[in-house]
Amino acid sequence: MKVHVNMDICLLHGQCVIAAPEIFSFDDNGDLHWVEVIDDSQVADAEAASDACPEQAIILG
Amino acid sequence: MTQDSIVADNLPYLDISDPGFSIRSSEVMRARELCWCARTNYGLAVLRYDDVQKLLRHPKLRQGSYRWPTLNDVTGEFARWWESMLLSQEGDNHSRLRRMANPAFSPKLITTLAPKFTELATMLIDEFAPKGECDFIAEFTEPYATGVICELLGLPFERWRELADIAADMGLALGVTFKKDLPTIEAATRRLFDYVEELVEARRAAPKDDFIGMLIKANEDKSQLSDQELLDMIVLAIFGGIDTTRNQLGLAMATFIEHSEQWALLAEQPELGRAAVEEVMRVRPTVTWVTREAVEDFTYNDTPIEKGTTLHLFSQSATSDPRVFDDASFDITAERKPHFGFGGGAHHCLGHFIARGDMTEALKLLAQRLKNPRFNGEVEWLPDSGNTGAIRMPIAFDPA
Repeated sequence: MKVHVNMDICLLHGQCVIAAPEIFSFDDNGDLHWVEVIDDSQVADAEAASDACPEQAIILG
Repeated sequence: MTQDSIVADNLPYLDISDPGFSIRSSEVMRARELCWCARTNYGLAVLRYDDVQKLLRHPKLRQGSYRWPTLNDVTGEFARWWESMLLSQEGDNHSRLRRMANPAFSPKLITTLAPKFTELATMLIDEFAPKGECDFIAEFTEPYATGVICELLGLPFERWRELADIAADMGLALGVTFKKDLPTIEAATRRLFDYVEELVEARRAAPKDDFIGMLIKANEDKSQLSDQELLDMIVLAIFGGIDTTRNQLGLAMATFIEHSEQWALLAEQPELGRAAVEEVMRVRPTVTWVTREAVEDFTYNDTPIEKGTTLHLFSQSATSDPRVFDDASFDITAERKPHFGFGGGAHHCLGHFIARGDMTEALKLLAQRLKNPRFNGEVEWLPDSGNTGAIRMPIAFDPA
Protein backbone atom coordinates (compact mmCIF):
# COMPACT_ATOMS: atom_id res chain seq x y z
CA MET A 1 0.00 0.00 0.00
CA LYS A 2 1.13 3.56 -0.78
CA VAL A 3 1.04 6.35 1.78
CA HIS A 4 0.76 10.00 0.79
CA VAL A 5 0.24 13.14 2.86
CA ASN A 6 -1.30 16.19 1.23
CA MET A 7 1.03 18.83 2.62
CA ASP A 8 -1.25 21.61 1.38
CA ILE A 9 -3.72 20.76 4.12
CA CYS A 10 -1.47 19.05 6.69
CA LEU A 11 -1.13 21.26 9.80
CA LEU A 12 1.56 19.12 11.46
CA HIS A 13 -0.54 18.20 14.50
CA GLY A 14 1.38 14.93 14.64
CA GLN A 15 -1.65 12.71 15.31
CA CYS A 16 -0.28 10.28 12.68
CA VAL A 17 3.02 10.12 14.57
CA ILE A 18 1.09 9.14 17.70
CA ALA A 19 -1.15 6.64 15.89
CA ALA A 20 1.51 4.99 13.71
CA PRO A 21 5.03 5.90 14.88
CA GLU A 22 6.62 3.27 12.63
CA ILE A 23 5.23 4.98 9.53
CA PHE A 24 5.21 8.69 10.43
CA SER A 25 7.85 10.73 12.24
CA PHE A 26 9.02 14.29 12.85
CA ASP A 27 12.67 15.24 12.32
CA ASP A 28 14.51 17.70 14.55
CA ASN A 29 13.24 20.62 12.45
CA GLY A 30 9.66 19.51 13.03
CA ASP A 31 9.19 18.39 9.39
CA LEU A 32 7.00 15.35 8.78
CA HIS A 33 8.41 12.20 7.16
CA TRP A 34 6.64 9.00 6.29
CA VAL A 35 7.26 5.57 4.78
CA GLU A 36 5.83 5.80 1.26
CA VAL A 37 5.29 2.11 0.65
CA ILE A 38 4.14 -0.12 3.51
CA ASP A 39 3.53 -3.85 3.77
CA ASP A 40 0.30 -5.59 4.79
CA SER A 41 1.29 -5.79 8.43
CA GLN A 42 1.29 -1.99 8.64
CA VAL A 43 -2.03 -1.31 6.92
CA ALA A 44 -4.09 -1.22 10.12
CA ASP A 45 -1.71 1.32 11.66
CA ALA A 46 -1.80 3.47 8.53
CA GLU A 47 -5.60 3.42 8.56
CA ALA A 48 -5.62 4.37 12.24
CA ALA A 49 -3.35 7.32 11.41
CA SER A 50 -5.49 8.36 8.47
CA ASP A 51 -8.64 8.27 10.64
CA ALA A 52 -6.94 10.18 13.44
CA CYS A 53 -5.71 13.01 11.19
CA PRO A 54 -7.78 16.08 12.16
CA GLU A 55 -7.31 17.58 8.68
CA GLN A 56 -7.88 14.27 6.84
CA ALA A 57 -4.65 14.88 4.92
CA ILE A 58 -3.50 11.25 4.64
CA ILE A 59 -4.26 9.37 1.43
CA LEU A 60 -3.84 5.60 1.32
CA GLY A 61 -4.00 3.58 -1.84
CA MET B 1 7.02 31.34 38.96
CA THR B 2 8.93 34.41 37.78
CA GLN B 3 7.90 35.82 34.48
CA ASP B 4 10.08 38.92 34.81
CA SER B 5 12.94 37.65 32.70
CA ILE B 6 10.68 37.40 29.65
CA VAL B 7 9.58 40.95 30.04
CA ALA B 8 11.54 42.29 27.17
CA ASP B 9 10.59 45.96 27.58
CA ASN B 10 7.68 47.50 25.78
CA LEU B 11 5.49 44.41 25.67
CA PRO B 12 1.83 45.34 26.11
CA TYR B 13 0.14 44.11 29.31
CA LEU B 14 -3.27 42.40 29.63
CA ASP B 15 -4.94 41.65 32.99
CA ILE B 16 -6.62 38.40 31.96
CA SER B 17 -7.75 37.38 35.46
CA ASP B 18 -9.99 40.47 35.71
CA PRO B 19 -13.56 39.07 35.34
CA GLY B 20 -14.31 42.08 33.12
CA PHE B 21 -11.47 41.24 30.73
CA SER B 22 -12.68 40.41 27.23
CA ILE B 23 -10.71 38.47 24.68
CA ARG B 24 -12.59 40.47 22.01
CA SER B 25 -11.80 43.90 23.44
CA SER B 26 -10.15 46.74 21.54
CA GLU B 27 -7.40 46.47 24.17
CA VAL B 28 -6.47 43.03 22.80
CA MET B 29 -6.63 44.28 19.21
CA ARG B 30 -4.35 47.22 20.08
CA ALA B 31 -1.89 44.86 21.77
CA ARG B 32 -1.97 42.61 18.68
CA GLU B 33 -0.93 45.58 16.53
CA LEU B 34 1.92 46.48 18.87
CA CYS B 35 3.47 43.06 19.27
CA TRP B 36 2.99 39.33 18.59
CA CYS B 37 2.54 38.77 22.32
CA ALA B 38 1.55 40.53 25.53
CA ARG B 39 2.48 40.05 29.15
CA THR B 40 -0.33 38.90 31.42
CA ASN B 41 -0.67 37.98 35.09
CA TYR B 42 -0.34 34.29 34.05
CA GLY B 43 2.58 34.53 31.61
CA LEU B 44 2.44 35.48 27.94
CA ALA B 45 -0.56 35.89 25.65
CA VAL B 46 0.10 35.08 21.98
CA LEU B 47 -2.07 37.24 19.74
CA ARG B 48 -1.32 36.75 16.03
CA TYR B 49 -2.35 33.96 13.65
CA ASP B 50 1.08 32.78 12.48
CA ASP B 51 2.50 32.67 16.00
CA VAL B 52 -0.46 30.82 17.47
CA GLN B 53 -0.21 28.28 14.66
CA LYS B 54 3.52 27.72 15.24
CA LEU B 55 3.38 27.67 19.03
CA LEU B 56 0.43 25.27 19.21
CA ARG B 57 2.83 22.50 18.19
CA HIS B 58 6.21 23.92 19.17
CA PRO B 59 8.56 21.14 20.35
CA LYS B 60 9.72 23.21 23.35
CA LEU B 61 6.17 23.53 24.67
CA ARG B 62 3.86 21.11 26.43
CA GLN B 63 0.15 21.31 27.17
CA GLY B 64 -0.08 23.83 30.00
CA SER B 65 -3.38 23.54 31.82
CA TYR B 66 -2.31 20.46 33.81
CA ARG B 67 -1.06 22.95 36.42
CA TRP B 68 -4.40 24.72 36.74
CA PRO B 69 -5.34 23.10 40.11
CA THR B 70 -1.87 23.86 41.52
CA LEU B 71 -2.01 27.47 40.30
CA ASN B 72 -5.31 27.78 42.17
CA ASP B 73 -3.88 26.06 45.26
CA VAL B 74 -6.50 23.33 44.95
CA THR B 75 -6.25 19.58 45.73
CA GLY B 76 -8.87 16.83 45.87
CA GLU B 77 -10.72 14.42 43.61
CA PHE B 78 -11.16 16.87 40.70
CA ALA B 79 -7.47 17.86 40.85
CA ARG B 80 -6.37 14.20 40.92
CA TRP B 81 -8.49 13.42 37.86
CA TRP B 82 -7.52 16.59 36.01
CA GLU B 83 -3.79 16.01 36.49
CA SER B 84 -3.89 12.34 35.41
CA MET B 85 -6.31 12.38 32.47
CA LEU B 86 -5.39 12.27 28.78
CA LEU B 87 -5.13 16.04 28.22
CA SER B 88 -2.60 16.44 31.02
CA GLN B 89 -0.40 13.55 29.89
CA GLU B 90 2.61 13.89 27.58
CA GLY B 91 4.96 11.54 25.71
CA ASP B 92 4.49 7.77 25.72
CA ASN B 93 1.67 7.74 28.27
CA HIS B 94 -0.27 10.27 26.26
CA SER B 95 0.32 8.35 23.02
CA ARG B 96 -0.84 5.06 24.56
CA LEU B 97 -4.08 6.57 25.87
CA ARG B 98 -4.72 8.57 22.70
CA ARG B 99 -4.24 5.53 20.44
CA MET B 100 -6.73 3.67 22.57
CA ALA B 101 -9.38 6.37 22.43
CA ASN B 102 -8.95 7.32 18.74
CA PRO B 103 -11.02 4.54 17.12
CA ALA B 104 -14.13 5.56 19.08
CA PHE B 105 -13.93 9.09 17.66
CA SER B 106 -13.15 8.33 14.03
CA PRO B 107 -14.79 10.21 11.13
CA LYS B 108 -16.39 6.92 10.00
CA LEU B 109 -18.49 6.99 13.13
CA ILE B 110 -20.11 10.28 12.13
CA THR B 111 -21.80 8.73 9.13
CA THR B 112 -23.65 6.34 11.42
CA LEU B 113 -24.40 8.98 14.06
CA ALA B 114 -25.67 11.82 11.80
CA PRO B 115 -29.27 10.50 11.58
CA LYS B 116 -29.32 10.23 15.40
CA PHE B 117 -28.20 13.87 15.69
CA THR B 118 -31.04 14.94 13.39
CA GLU B 119 -33.56 12.87 15.32
CA LEU B 120 -32.45 14.34 18.66
CA ALA B 121 -32.45 17.93 17.37
CA THR B 122 -35.90 17.49 15.80
CA MET B 123 -37.32 16.08 19.02
CA LEU B 124 -36.01 19.02 21.06
CA ILE B 125 -37.11 21.68 18.54
CA ASP B 126 -40.61 20.12 18.32
CA GLU B 127 -40.94 20.63 22.09
CA PHE B 128 -40.43 24.40 22.14
CA ALA B 129 -40.98 25.62 18.57
CA PRO B 130 -44.78 26.11 18.77
CA LYS B 131 -44.26 28.67 21.61
CA GLY B 132 -42.14 30.90 19.35
CA GLU B 133 -39.70 31.38 22.23
CA CYS B 134 -37.35 29.40 24.44
CA ASP B 135 -34.30 29.54 26.63
CA PHE B 136 -31.95 28.34 23.93
CA ILE B 137 -29.47 26.93 26.45
CA ALA B 138 -31.88 25.07 28.78
CA GLU B 139 -34.21 23.88 26.03
CA PHE B 140 -31.80 23.15 23.22
CA THR B 141 -28.00 23.31 23.58
CA GLU B 142 -27.80 21.61 26.97
CA PRO B 143 -30.08 18.60 26.29
CA TYR B 144 -28.67 18.33 22.76
CA ALA B 145 -24.99 18.31 23.78
CA THR B 146 -25.75 15.88 26.59
CA GLY B 147 -27.95 13.73 24.35
CA VAL B 148 -25.10 13.34 21.87
CA ILE B 149 -22.81 12.09 24.64
CA CYS B 150 -25.54 9.71 25.83
CA GLU B 151 -25.77 8.38 22.27
CA LEU B 152 -22.00 7.98 21.99
CA LEU B 153 -21.68 6.21 25.33
CA GLY B 154 -24.87 4.19 25.06
CA LEU B 155 -26.49 5.88 28.07
CA PRO B 156 -30.22 6.35 28.48
CA PHE B 157 -31.24 9.85 27.30
CA GLU B 158 -33.73 10.06 30.20
CA ARG B 159 -30.82 10.71 32.56
CA TRP B 160 -29.49 13.70 30.55
CA ARG B 161 -30.44 16.29 33.21
CA GLU B 162 -28.31 14.56 35.84
CA LEU B 163 -25.26 14.44 33.55
CA ALA B 164 -25.74 18.03 32.35
CA ASP B 165 -25.90 19.30 35.94
CA ILE B 166 -22.78 17.35 36.89
CA ALA B 167 -20.88 18.67 33.84
CA ALA B 168 -21.93 22.25 34.58
CA ASP B 169 -20.85 21.97 38.24
CA MET B 170 -17.53 20.38 37.30
CA GLY B 171 -17.08 23.04 34.64
CA LEU B 172 -16.83 25.66 37.41
CA ALA B 173 -13.31 24.31 37.91
CA LEU B 174 -12.25 25.97 34.65
CA GLY B 175 -13.29 29.42 35.84
CA VAL B 176 -11.43 32.01 37.89
CA THR B 177 -13.62 31.12 40.91
CA PHE B 178 -12.29 27.52 41.01
CA LYS B 179 -11.26 27.62 44.68
CA LYS B 180 -14.44 29.30 45.93
CA ASP B 181 -16.58 26.74 44.05
CA LEU B 182 -14.52 23.75 45.19
CA PRO B 183 -17.20 22.07 47.38
CA THR B 184 -19.66 22.07 44.44
CA ILE B 185 -16.96 20.84 42.04
CA GLU B 186 -15.85 18.04 44.38
CA ALA B 187 -19.42 16.85 44.96
CA ALA B 188 -20.05 16.77 41.19
CA THR B 189 -16.78 14.91 40.55
CA ARG B 190 -17.69 12.25 43.11
CA ARG B 191 -21.16 11.87 41.61
CA LEU B 192 -19.73 11.43 38.14
CA PHE B 193 -17.20 8.82 39.25
CA ASP B 194 -19.98 6.94 41.11
CA TYR B 195 -22.10 7.07 37.95
CA VAL B 196 -19.24 5.85 35.76
CA GLU B 197 -18.27 3.04 38.16
CA GLU B 198 -21.85 1.82 38.17
CA LEU B 199 -21.90 2.03 34.38
CA VAL B 200 -18.68 0.03 33.99
CA GLU B 201 -20.03 -2.68 36.32
CA ALA B 202 -23.22 -2.92 34.27
CA ARG B 203 -21.23 -3.14 31.02
CA ARG B 204 -18.92 -5.81 32.38
CA ALA B 205 -22.05 -7.87 33.07
CA ALA B 206 -23.66 -7.07 29.70
CA PRO B 207 -20.92 -6.16 27.19
CA LYS B 208 -21.60 -3.87 24.22
CA ASP B 209 -19.44 -3.18 21.20
CA ASP B 210 -19.02 0.57 21.67
CA PHE B 211 -16.65 3.14 23.20
CA ILE B 212 -17.06 1.87 26.76
CA GLY B 213 -17.02 -1.76 25.60
CA MET B 214 -13.75 -1.11 23.78
CA LEU B 215 -12.17 0.48 26.87
CA ILE B 216 -13.37 -2.38 29.09
CA LYS B 217 -11.76 -4.83 26.69
CA ALA B 218 -8.48 -2.89 26.76
CA ASN B 219 -8.69 -2.88 30.56
CA GLU B 220 -8.49 -6.71 30.62
CA ASP B 221 -4.75 -6.10 30.28
CA LYS B 222 -4.10 -3.67 33.16
CA SER B 223 -0.75 -2.62 31.71
CA GLN B 224 -2.60 -1.37 28.63
CA LEU B 225 -5.33 0.47 30.54
CA SER B 226 -5.52 0.46 34.35
CA ASP B 227 -8.80 0.50 36.28
CA GLN B 228 -8.28 4.14 37.20
CA GLU B 229 -7.40 5.12 33.61
CA LEU B 230 -10.57 3.41 32.41
CA LEU B 231 -12.73 5.52 34.74
CA ASP B 232 -10.72 8.70 34.05
CA MET B 233 -11.20 8.30 30.29
CA ILE B 234 -14.98 7.87 30.50
CA VAL B 235 -15.23 10.85 32.85
CA LEU B 236 -13.24 12.90 30.31
CA ALA B 237 -15.55 11.88 27.47
CA ILE B 238 -18.58 13.04 29.48
CA PHE B 239 -17.03 16.21 30.90
CA GLY B 240 -15.22 17.19 27.70
CA GLY B 241 -18.16 16.68 25.40
CA ILE B 242 -21.04 18.38 27.19
CA ASP B 243 -19.97 21.87 28.27
CA THR B 244 -17.96 22.64 25.13
CA THR B 245 -20.73 21.78 22.66
CA ARG B 246 -23.38 23.43 24.84
CA ASN B 247 -21.34 26.64 24.91
CA GLN B 248 -20.34 26.58 21.25
CA LEU B 249 -23.91 26.18 20.00
CA GLY B 250 -25.04 29.06 22.24
CA LEU B 251 -22.26 31.21 20.80
CA ALA B 252 -23.39 30.17 17.32
CA MET B 253 -26.94 31.37 17.97
CA ALA B 254 -25.71 34.68 19.44
CA THR B 255 -23.51 35.23 16.38
CA PHE B 256 -26.31 34.46 13.93
CA ILE B 257 -28.74 36.72 15.83
CA GLU B 258 -26.28 39.53 15.19
CA HIS B 259 -26.03 38.49 11.49
CA SER B 260 -29.60 37.65 10.53
CA GLU B 261 -28.90 37.63 6.78
CA GLN B 262 -26.41 34.79 7.34
CA TRP B 263 -29.06 32.80 9.22
CA ALA B 264 -31.51 33.25 6.35
CA LEU B 265 -28.79 32.13 3.94
CA LEU B 266 -28.11 28.99 5.98
CA ALA B 267 -31.85 28.18 5.95
CA GLU B 268 -31.86 28.48 2.16
CA GLN B 269 -28.62 26.55 1.70
CA PRO B 270 -28.34 23.88 4.40
CA GLU B 271 -25.23 22.54 2.66
CA LEU B 272 -23.47 25.56 4.25
CA GLY B 273 -23.99 23.94 7.68
CA ARG B 274 -20.48 22.64 8.03
CA ALA B 275 -18.94 25.94 6.86
CA ALA B 276 -21.20 27.74 9.35
CA VAL B 277 -19.74 25.69 12.21
CA GLU B 278 -16.19 26.53 11.13
CA GLU B 279 -16.97 30.24 10.72
CA VAL B 280 -18.68 30.46 14.13
CA MET B 281 -15.69 28.76 15.74
CA ARG B 282 -13.40 31.25 14.03
CA VAL B 283 -15.18 34.36 15.29
CA ARG B 284 -16.63 33.09 18.63
CA PRO B 285 -14.77 30.00 19.87
CA THR B 286 -15.86 28.76 23.30
CA VAL B 287 -12.23 27.90 23.96
CA THR B 288 -10.89 31.44 23.79
CA TRP B 289 -7.35 30.42 24.55
CA VAL B 290 -5.22 27.29 24.61
CA THR B 291 -2.50 26.93 27.24
CA ARG B 292 1.09 25.83 26.73
CA GLU B 293 4.11 25.70 29.04
CA ALA B 294 7.81 25.93 28.16
CA VAL B 295 9.62 22.68 29.02
CA GLU B 296 13.02 24.35 28.62
CA ASP B 297 14.51 27.80 27.98
CA PHE B 298 14.24 28.87 24.36
CA THR B 299 14.05 31.95 22.17
CA TYR B 300 11.08 32.73 19.94
CA ASN B 301 10.79 35.87 17.77
CA ASP B 302 13.89 37.20 19.57
CA THR B 303 12.06 36.90 22.87
CA PRO B 304 13.74 34.67 25.46
CA ILE B 305 11.16 32.34 27.02
CA GLU B 306 12.16 30.76 30.30
CA LYS B 307 11.39 27.17 31.27
CA GLY B 308 8.06 27.04 33.13
CA THR B 309 6.62 30.11 31.38
CA THR B 310 2.90 29.80 30.61
CA LEU B 311 1.74 30.86 27.16
CA HIS B 312 -1.90 31.54 26.40
CA LEU B 313 -2.55 31.15 22.70
CA PHE B 314 -5.49 33.49 22.01
CA SER B 315 -7.53 31.63 19.40
CA GLN B 316 -10.11 34.33 18.71
CA SER B 317 -7.51 37.08 18.47
CA ALA B 318 -5.44 34.94 16.07
CA THR B 319 -8.35 34.15 13.76
CA SER B 320 -9.39 37.79 13.47
CA ASP B 321 -5.78 38.88 12.78
CA PRO B 322 -5.88 41.38 9.87
CA ARG B 323 -2.47 40.08 8.69
CA VAL B 324 -4.23 36.89 7.57
CA PHE B 325 -7.92 37.80 7.29
CA ASP B 326 -8.40 40.80 4.97
CA ASP B 327 -12.05 40.95 5.78
CA ALA B 328 -12.60 39.15 9.07
CA SER B 329 -16.36 39.84 9.27
CA PHE B 330 -18.67 36.87 9.81
CA ASP B 331 -19.40 35.20 6.47
CA ILE B 332 -20.31 31.52 6.16
CA THR B 333 -19.56 31.55 2.42
CA ALA B 334 -15.96 32.81 2.74
CA GLU B 335 -12.94 30.56 2.17
CA ARG B 336 -10.93 30.73 5.41
CA LYS B 337 -7.65 29.49 6.79
CA PRO B 338 -8.12 26.96 9.63
CA HIS B 339 -9.27 28.22 13.05
CA PHE B 340 -7.87 27.02 16.38
CA GLY B 341 -11.15 26.27 18.12
CA PHE B 342 -10.14 22.63 18.59
CA GLY B 343 -6.61 23.45 19.72
CA GLY B 344 -3.86 21.72 17.77
CA GLY B 345 -0.86 19.44 17.89
CA ALA B 346 -0.72 16.30 20.03
CA HIS B 347 -3.67 17.49 22.13
CA HIS B 348 -5.95 18.44 19.23
CA CYS B 349 -9.53 17.88 20.40
CA LEU B 350 -10.29 14.15 20.30
CA GLY B 351 -14.02 14.67 19.78
CA HIS B 352 -13.84 17.20 16.93
CA PHE B 353 -15.38 14.98 14.23
CA ILE B 354 -18.38 14.36 16.47
CA ALA B 355 -18.60 18.02 17.55
CA ARG B 356 -18.40 19.19 13.93
CA GLY B 357 -20.98 16.62 12.89
CA ASP B 358 -23.50 17.29 15.65
CA MET B 359 -23.24 21.08 15.41
CA THR B 360 -23.63 20.96 11.62
CA GLU B 361 -26.85 18.93 11.86
CA ALA B 362 -28.17 21.17 14.65
CA LEU B 363 -27.53 24.47 12.86
CA LYS B 364 -29.01 23.20 9.57
CA LEU B 365 -32.25 22.22 11.30
CA LEU B 366 -32.45 25.26 13.56
CA ALA B 367 -32.04 27.67 10.63
CA GLN B 368 -34.96 26.01 8.88
CA ARG B 369 -37.28 25.87 11.89
CA LEU B 370 -36.48 29.10 13.79
CA LYS B 371 -36.94 32.12 11.51
CA ASN B 372 -35.75 35.62 12.52
CA PRO B 373 -34.33 34.61 15.91
CA ARG B 374 -33.79 37.54 18.32
CA PHE B 375 -32.89 38.00 21.98
CA ASN B 376 -35.96 37.98 24.19
CA GLY B 377 -34.62 39.07 27.58
CA GLU B 378 -31.26 39.27 29.24
CA VAL B 379 -28.58 36.77 28.22
CA GLU B 380 -26.42 35.51 31.09
CA TRP B 381 -22.81 34.94 30.11
CA LEU B 382 -19.79 33.21 31.59
CA PRO B 383 -16.72 35.53 31.69
CA ASP B 384 -15.57 36.37 28.16
CA SER B 385 -12.27 34.50 28.51
CA GLY B 386 -11.11 30.98 29.31
CA ASN B 387 -13.96 28.67 28.26
CA THR B 388 -16.84 31.01 27.55
CA GLY B 389 -20.50 30.79 26.59
CA ALA B 390 -24.03 31.65 27.67
CA ILE B 391 -25.70 30.14 30.74
CA ARG B 392 -29.15 31.50 29.82
CA MET B 393 -30.28 32.80 26.44
CA PRO B 394 -33.96 33.71 26.08
CA ILE B 395 -34.79 33.99 22.39
CA ALA B 396 -37.93 34.56 20.33
CA PHE B 397 -38.43 33.48 16.72
CA ASP B 398 -41.04 32.86 14.05
CA PRO B 399 -41.74 29.12 13.93
CA ALA B 400 -41.61 27.60 10.46
